[in-house]
Amino acid sequence: MSQDHSHNDDHAPQTDVKEGPPGEYEILSRAMQEILEEKGLIKAEQIQKKMELYDEDYPNRGAKVVAKAWTDPEFKARLLENGNKAVAELGISMEADHLIAVENTPEVHNLIVCTLCSCYPRSLLGMPPTWYKSRNYRSRVVHEPRSVLSEFGTEISNDTTVRVHDSNADMRYVVLPMRPEGTEDWSAEQLEELLSRDHLVGVTVPVVD
Amino acid sequence: MSVTPPLPQPQKGPHDVGGEEAGEIDTIDQGMNFWQRQANALRAVAIANNIIVLDELRRTAEDLGDDYARLAYFEKTTTALRNLFVEKDIIGENELTAKMDEIRARFNVPDEMESSIKKDTTNKGSAS
Amino acid sequence: MSAFQPVTPIPDHDFDIGDRVTIKRGHPPGHRRTPHYIRGKTGEIERICGVFPNPEERAYGFDGLPGRILYRVKFKQSDVWCGYAGPDTDIIEMEIFEHWLEPA
Repeated sequence: MSQDHSHNDDHAPQTDVKEGPPGEYEILSRAMQEILEEKGLIKAEQIQKKMELYDEDYPNRGAKVVAKAWTDPEFKARLLENGNKAVAELGISMEADHLIAVENTPEVHNLIVCTLCSCYPRSLLGMPPTWYKSRNYRSRVVHEPRSVLSEFGTEISNDTTVRVHDSNADMRYVVLPMRPEGTEDWSAEQLEELLSRDHLVGVTVPVVD
Repeated sequence: MSVTPPLPQPQKGPHDVGGEEAGEIDTIDQGMNFWQRQANALRAVAIANNIIVLDELRRTAEDLGDDYARLAYFEKTTTALRNLFVEKDIIGENELTAKMDEIRARFNVPDEMESSIKKDTTNKGSAS
Repeated sequence: MSAFQPVTPIPDHDFDIGDRVTIKRGHPPGHRRTPHYIRGKTGEIERICGVFPNPEERAYGFDGLPGRILYRVKFKQSDVWCGYAGPDTDIIEMEIFEHWLEPA
């Protein structure tokens, strides 16, 4: 079963429709937010701005960086050397994150997890998907990565090393997938459209039908 | 012949799940609703404003004991955040209870025009 | 292959890229970022990330300074898991602070 999501349906439906009275955790979260605002420790505009960044800005950055790496080998070399500095060339700030880009090759397939919590390159990819934060993914991907990949519809040959990265400290990871055959003439924009967030975590690989 | 106590098992936190057996993964991203996106922003802004440190928040989540596995992701993170704010005396327990009652009342009041509790909640995503 | 630029300058350090290291076996209480599954396992230094404040201290309100050297360590999956089901070439890597490392 292929789960190769294109960039456009990458983002799960975000329900803004109110579905009845808020639950206790929502009330708790709002209460904390309002108290902090009243104490002047945070501003409502900051919350608003952060939500906008997560909704509209961060999720689009990863594909842009990878498309550029695919079309510009010198940029790719700089990306592998110093992730933050390279993405800054595209006007992207990694904020507090330290980025390591890991490159897929015919010999190596990379896969990212944070077993201890849900560390993720949020400034580059937005919010992690629910499966990434799930206990089942976090527990299993480190000791049975190939079985996990199969659940995402991805089979990696035994001739290719599967390299799992447990992002347990200060570094954050993005997978640089292999550029699919058949895209040699494609523009950076077309390549961006091909890429999904799942490709950049390593659970699926981009292919051209 | 005396019986020695059993070998102690190393304690590990409920979060330290790498390597455990677990079930099938739901490979579809279920996304976030409005309050969850707002809660995520609250966490990010609290850290950016140096009110709390990310490591502290991870630790209060890890200290949730049996609740860690029981709670859904945003329930976990919201509880961890609450525990941290109260621990650091940034928000008092009574203050929090009062504010939660106030918020609940906003949703219970049948005629919102008459409520004296109702405030402008444009940025707070209320039902109004 | 391009060289990785560490995030901060690296002071005197005990381990270099390629050195074999074993993760300490201890189970100290409190906030630790060394997963249980890797304790006592042996791998090889993959790169030196830089110097970072110690999260084990920061978790309790301390500043975590002076910072500690953070290494990336590479392990063969077959060295980490009994009966690992994939090929012998499969790898797992993670970041480990200097105080968790011993020479192998």
